[in-house]
Amino acid sequence: MKIELKKFGNILNSRPAGKDAYSGFLSELSKVAESEVVEVNFAEVVSFAPSWGDEFLSPLLEKFGDRLKLTNTRNSSVVLTLKLLEKTNGCKFSNY
Amino acid sequence: MNKIELISIGEVAKMLGISIQTLRRWDESGQLIARKTEGGQRRYLKSDIQALADGKIFQLAHKWVSEKDLIQITSDVHCKDRSIFEGRLQRLNGAIVKGGVSNDLIPLIITATGEIGNNSFDHNLGKWPDVPGVFFDYNINEGVIVLADRGLGILSTLQRVRPELMHHVDALKVAFTEIVTGRAPEKRGNGLKYVKEIVKMGIISIKFQTGNAVLTMGAGDLNFEINLIDSLVKGTIVIINFKKNKK
Repeated sequence: MKIELKKFGNILNSRPAGKDAYSGFLSELSKVAESEVVEVNFAEVVSFAPSWGDEFLSPLLEKFGDRLKLTNTRNSSVVLTLKLLEKTNGCKFSNY
Repeated sequence: MNKIELISIGEVAKMLGISIQTLRRWDESGQLIARKTEGGQRRYLKSDIQALADGKIFQLAHKWVSEKDLIQITSDVHCKDRSIFEGRLQRLNGAIVKGGVSNDLIPLIITATGEIGNNSFDHNLGKWPDVPGVFFDYNINEGVIVLADRGLGILSTLQRVRPELMHHVDALKVAFTEIVTGRAPEKRGNGLKYVKEIVKMGIISIKFQTGNAVLTMGAGDLNFEINLIDSLVKGTIVIINFKKNKK
């Protein structure tokens, strides 16, 4: 499964918005097969805040672990947010 | 010879982001005196007002959060709810791109601004003491963004999870340094730690006041300093300074 973050907007800010995005995607996530990779694509995202990321990405990582693959993560706010989430959640995102 | 351009009170209100009523009061009290036409209408020198608008964003926000009696500010600067704030954040992004700020700096400036503004909404939801929302204005040419709220302030909001905190200074320090975990179901943001990292990277500098405690951290500094001052603000007030290029 491929999740294009730009479909949620180019400025991804705030906990409520991140939570809404995740809730809205739950039904899709239930269709992911047992060994399927879930790709989160950051292309065209301008701003990716830790508040939004914690509500959307942290549960995805918890659910899919190593099968979660992040792509197009060169944006400076994405790089810094991923670092902070790894530190606060004591986890490691792979493939970015 | 420079042309003298006079503007109406309505135009001044729009440029400064304050109401016509406040301008009338300021005229009467001598804080900002208007010229009068023969018919008695107020007129202002546009160059004076522009200078005021360029340098006074912080002062206006400070007045809004420090005065006991609420001064009226216009919807141009007052984001009454989160959706209005998000809309203005998009506008800031457009203005910053147009203003020639280096592409690699824009995401971090926008995200820092978004985290600070959203913090105000997150921590004051349903608890605003008088007026809800965030003051949010900027001047791209001067490289300044100002955010403020008349909310509970950091000390009160942190006391929910750290009841031992007694002073604004200590609360401000915790907010910028410690990973605070809330009791479920409330998730705590760590947005200010994120903002601190952006300052360390030399992208922005920041001055952050809550209560009577002021944190200052210059672009590229590894540490911040917090001082006590005499004037007290309700909620928080933050000034972010940035340059168009890092070097």
